[in-house]
Amino acid sequence: MTALVERTGGALAEAARDARSAWTRRHTAAAALVALAALVPAIAPSWVHVDSVANGFYLALAATGLWLTVALGGMPSLGQGAFMAIGAFTVALLTARAGWPALPATLVAVAAAAAGGVLAGAGVVRLRPVFIAVTTWILTWAVTIFLLAFRSVSGGAQGLVLPSGISVTTHYELGLALLVAAVLVAASLARGGPGIELRAARQVPAAAAALGVPTARRRLGAFVASAAIGGLAGGLAVQLAGVADASEYGAYLSFKLFVAVLLGGVASALGPSAGIAGLALVTGAAGVLGSLEGVESARFDPMLAALLLLAVLALGGEGIVPLVRRLVGRDAERPVRRAPTVVSVPAERRPGTKPPILVADSLTKRFGSLVAADSVSLELVAGEVCALIGPNGSGKTTMLRLLAGVYRPDGGRVLVDGADLGDAPPRERAARGVVRTLQTSAAFGDLTALENLLVGMGLRREHGGAFRTAFATPLAREEDERLRADARSLLADVGLGWAADVRAGELAGPEQRLVAVAAALAAGPRVLLLDEPSAGSSLDDVSRLDALLSRLRVQGMSILLVEHNLRLVRSVADRVIVMAAGAVIATGTPADVAGDADVRAAYLGRAAL
Amino acid sequence: MSLALQVIVTGLAAGGVYGLVAVGYSVIYRLTGIVHFAYGELIALGVFVTLLVAAGTGPVTQQTAGTARFVVALVVGVGVCVVAGAGSYLFAVQPYLVRGSTIGWVAAITAVAFAIQAMLAAIFTRPSYVFPDLLPFRRVGHDGFVTVGGASIQVRSFFVIAVALALAAAAGWTLERTRVGRALQAIASDAEGARIVGVPVDTLVAMAFGAAGGMAAIAAVVAAPSGAVEVETGALLGLKGLVAALIVRFGSPLRAMVAGLALGLAEAAIANAHIGSFQLGASYREVLPLAIVLLVVALWPQLEAVEELE
Repeated sequence: MTALVERTGGALAEAARDARSAWTRRHTAAAALVALAALVPAIAPSWVHVDSVANGFYLALAATGLWLTVALGGMPSLGQGAFMAIGAFTVALLTARAGWPALPATLVAVAAAAAGGVLAGAGVVRLRPVFIAVTTWILTWAVTIFLLAFRSVSGGAQGLVLPSGISVTTHYELGLALLVAAVLVAASLARGGPGIELRAARQVPAAAAALGVPTARRRLGAFVASAAIGGLAGGLAVQLAGVADASEYGAYLSFKLFVAVLLGGVASALGPSAGIAGLALVTGAAGVLGSLEGVESARFDPMLAALLLLAVLALGGEGIVPLVRRLVGRDAERPVRRAPTVVSVPAERRPGTKPPILVADSLTKRFGSLVAADSVSLELVAGEVCALIGPNGSGKTTMLRLLAGVYRPDGGRVLVDGADLGDAPPRERAARGVVRTLQTSAAFGDLTALENLLVGMGLRREHGGAFRTAFATPLAREEDERLRADARSLLADVGLGWAADVRAGELAGPEQRLVAVAAALAAGPRVLLLDEPSAGSSLDDVSRLDALLSRLRVQGMSILLVEHNLRLVRSVADRVIVMAAGAVIATGTPADVAGDADVRAAYLGRAAL
Repeated sequence: MSLALQVIVTGLAAGGVYGLVAVGYSVIYRLTGIVHFAYGELIALGVFVTLLVAAGTGPVTQQTAGTARFVVALVVGVGVCVVAGAGSYLFAVQPYLVRGSTIGWVAAITAVAFAIQAMLAAIFTRPSYVFPDLLPFRRVGHDGFVTVGGASIQVRSFFVIAVALALAAAAGWTLERTRVGRALQAIASDAEGARIVGVPVDTLVAMAFGAAGGMAAIAAVVAAPSGAVEVETGALLGLKGLVAALIVRFGSPLRAMVAGLALGLAEAAIANAHIGSFQLGASYREVLPLAIVLLVVALWPQLEAVEELE
């Protein structure tokens, strides 16, 4: 017990020390702003409607929750209103009908919304973004229609009247505190491993899976967290309102929260709050104008929200927060591009005499009548570079996908260290040391080069789960710092140290491919499956790649290289496997294969002989 | 037996309209890869513009409008719907399709939906409207109802079913047999390829958006006099069509139509179903199909899994 107290005290002291050392003028300004906001109910003039602002905090809380799904997860959810409704009506039923106190009712509401999130999310997160939008839209309608249709639950047109609870001022302070906490947690998640992995999976799901990202689990986590936060916001907002009215929680609420996220800007966790504030300002202004003209303007709110969103989207769709940042001019200065140095290679090489790490045993894959891989076998030992070459459409990429678990073979099996991998999906194989880079998409363009590597580092995280990251526990922070340092040095190793904080999409094509290879290395593979890493590269780029692969081989890495650049193949490959029309037609050293008549025929056609 | 007949006729009449909406969703999805979240509101726009021209915003009975005025109204209503449909594609969808931003077009098209709904709600302020009926079905049978084998059936229902099927057949014929239809099929299978060989992709897709809106609006106008019309009716109709289209994964027009009819039948059956002595009734009719479709989607095989996209 004493030890626990001491440990906790130590951790707190350490956290305080960290916070002090990282504290900047921005933090002071933000803290001052929050403190000022907290004083508003006490000092505000009478025309400030504290209850409306408190309700705005709850809406912003729900929108911040939604931000996790939309901005981090890339899932266009139109269903956040449904989770607010679940929270609101759980609280309403428990307090008004069952006589529960507010606190346990609110907790049950959060649990109910989270449970709803699990049920809906389990199906939804696997879908394409379009279908996510459709199913969450139907979910929102289903909940509303259910509430409107079953008056025994929702109280019909009168709604359910809640017993009076905490004061409006308390709601205001509670809403503010929860909102600040939610924004901090969301920002922490976005910066940490889970957020980076979600953003990677949003861009190129297959590449993220190849690096071992548990895409479905991460997305479900984001979806359920959104739902739980939505349920909390709904459960509290209904207590503030004093009555639960089903028509308040319809499709329009879901739309409004979605709008808030986009309006504020998906790039920042502050975006949803800014979006809700922007919406409130515009509808408030319209209300003032309307009252001057004697028109009841609330009816025009949806129209204003819609037009505001269309305007923001038409102007480039960045949203309020990024716009403000640009106006304030807080863009970091651009790093200077430096030509990567060619890393020197130790001379000695260890010949591969150990048992094979990776074995493909008569792998067959058919697409209809086309046999893309016809009983292909190969073996890789530690410290060996094996090149897989052949004309276009000969089945090279199919082989990589079979080995990486993207395709299920029609026959044959893949073994690692003698153990059959069975139907293990890509991310499981990555965890067992088989990591692939993709041919088409190089790096994750929206992530910085460093973050690209951190996607691969995800497999090494032991304390970087969503909860620990969200609340930035000392262990999680320490581990994150260590991994970032590792990623930086790995990036420097491939000659891209200068690009650590540059968005990968802004790098040149060959540099992006290097980033992708480095990200695969970050996953700590023993077998590296590279699909045309030299595509689009200049001579210089190729010799850098050459040096990198040679060094990896010396370090004992096994590399299966699909490559069209025969100069690179001749230079780095210990062994070459030539495929044509789905079958292996030759194996041997680069020199052997170059003299093989069948190989020349496959590349050049019979006539060339 | 009599109950079954009643369920089938009312179910098919509702389902025919759902089916047409589902056909519209499917055609648009296959052409562009987007789901037209403003479709229901566009239909409502067509219906309410027709109502505005035919009878104004005041109270109407089913007999108020004259035939000539009603025909003009229908033409104007469907015309507005076509123009708005094409416009919503060009201004709200196309820019984001070019950028490849799903979140962008979802936001934009949903914004269009709420803008239309808010505009209609501002003009048509009464909770519900009666739609004038051009054809004198009231005079047939007992105030528009006939009794067949003990079942009381609205005569209009047969007319609605016939119009829906005719429109669906016309849409199918256009897609299969005309130059424009073949061009649309080319776009659906490979938009970039079609663009390269000189198919005016954006124009044709905008036309398809307009036509889909107009077609569904006609069906909605035809069905409207059978019950009360509210501003939210469009959104609900859009929702039902979406459910039908989703269950066949935005498949061929024929399958979408069948799914719509099936949804209509299912609703009618649920409304009249008994479990023991407990009648499920209208509440369940609205909720159960939505719950079922969500469940079905949740159980879809890994086909749609994210790893597929490389």
